[in-house]
Amino acid sequence: MTAPVTDPALQAKAAIEYCYQQGWTDGLPVVPATSADIEACLATTDLDAAVVIGSVAHLGRNVTVAQAAANAIMAGCRPEYFPVVLAAWQAVMQERASRGAWQSTSGPAPLIVVNGPVRARLEINSRGGVFGPGFRANMTIPRAIGLIVRNGFGVRPQQLEQATQGLPGRWSICLGENEEMSPWPPLSVVGGLRAGTDAVSAMLIRTCEYVDNRSTDSAEAVLHDFADSLARIGAYVGGPHSSGGLVLGPEHAQLLGNAGYSRSDVQEWLFEHSVRSRAEMVAAGKGDHAGTADDGERAFALMPAAADIPILVAGAANAAMSMVFRPFGWAAWSGTSVPIKYRAAKQTEH
Amino acid sequence: MFDSIIDPTVSQANATEYDRLALAARPESLSGLRLGLLANTKRNAEQFLDEVGQLLAGQYGVLVVLAMKKPDITSTAPELTLAELGAECDVVVTGVGDCGSCSASAVADGILLEQAGTPAVALISDAFAVSADAMAELRGAPGYKYVRVQHPVANLTPDGVRSRAAQAVPAIVRLLTEPAMAVSA
Repeated sequence: MTAPVTDPALQAKAAIEYCYQQGWTDGLPVVPATSADIEACLATTDLDAAVVIGSVAHLGRNVTVAQAAANAIMAGCRPEYFPVVLAAWQAVMQERASRGAWQSTSGPAPLIVVNGPVRARLEINSRGGVFGPGFRANMTIPRAIGLIVRNGFGVRPQQLEQATQGLPGRWSICLGENEEMSPWPPLSVVGGLRAGTDAVSAMLIRTCEYVDNRSTDSAEAVLHDFADSLARIGAYVGGPHSSGGLVLGPEHAQLLGNAGYSRSDVQEWLFEHSVRSRAEMVAAGKGDHAGTADDGERAFALMPAAADIPILVAGAANAAMSMVFRPFGWAAWSGTSVPIKYRAAKQTEH
Repeated sequence: MFDSIIDPTVSQANATEYDRLALAARPESLSGLRLGLLANTKRNAEQFLDEVGQLLAGQYGVLVVLAMKKPDITSTAPELTLAELGAECDVVVTGVGDCGSCSASAVADGILLEQAGTPAVALISDAFAVSADAMAELRGAPGYKYVRVQHPVANLTPDGVRSRAAQAVPAIVRLLTEPAMAVSA
């Protein structure tokens, strides 16, 4: 029998190793959660510990508030992030695409967008390097979602989870919208909430791909560039259409805004121009839905509808680049943002 | 030493513990029995099951009495669908498990039918055996046997579907008529 370890650093390392041995981690170290941590999280919400906030009926699994708290702490969240985690979880779970997402070969990632003053309060980055890494809230809130799926639903890679390749940063995409530099209302307003509301919007996405265009001051030229990426055939899985959205860098957003384009104008333009000819679809072996007419007569529209091309603004205004993202499945974003709810009397209860 | 660390996998609300399952009793022969087909929405699933039905009818004398399609690939079939299959059919073939979530749910459909007393065989693409096994374990039927179909199925031509279905038939028959055993097609 060796002497008990008294060095706190060695104890901490042993506790982290213990969590690995239990199979609780996503491969990175986790912060061991204690009942005091759970209490600290519960103090931020009016929801009781035992409330069920997510179910997968065919797996017979339910996730409770307390269980979400344990996984949020393990992900590295501070307890004050917990209301954002709960809103993000709700926002992800209410998306139709989430039903098959966790076990899918596509291995999609939640794209979590935060609006409102909470961004400043919790230091949720909306500016330079918004896709990360480098910012605790941005990295740990989506990781909490991933750990809830793993530990709460029991969906683990190469078992019930069958992602063929997955994608880089599957559990690390949380963006503050750069409302301050956007020419348009916040995404949460598109999602049905009042401007200034602390809110989370979420989608499941399969990847992000950059569009770098610092070569022109023409709004239409930049839109052409976006449409070319949106209409990429490789992203089309079959079925009636593909999917796509944009995280515009502030420079592109302002170029479009200054040229008089509203968000819906941009969506309309992109919907009309994100097309391929039947011949191109057939050449790639994906012509089943591209009609039967000759090339050019009936171009195949890759986007489902103008309103189903979600657009938000994030990043720094230091170079004209943007990101195309690919919503998973054929169900477009529900268009419903989730307000972040805080415990009303939280200050007085301590 | 680490008793104070919360186990994040345990939730009091995770009360769904499935009982260990006994498979439905097997008939000695398929001749004259009513066969039901339960397809999911994967490409080629209905065609595959249709071929299986025709082959079982031609070679083993089953009557194909019901061909159903479930609306959601991820979830188990609706209760009414399973009840109808159980009431109208003596044996059921379901599939094709050809993706991450649908392979697991096809096995779950098979197990639910067995639970209600109807011998059922799920057709699972062999790329998803691990997922199918995990679901069987979770549903209280560890080792539940299904027919492994060579992956992939979704991109097969009609001729390809036909020959793949023909390959699967002997294993389907064995699983429907013999006590559970490991079978590969």
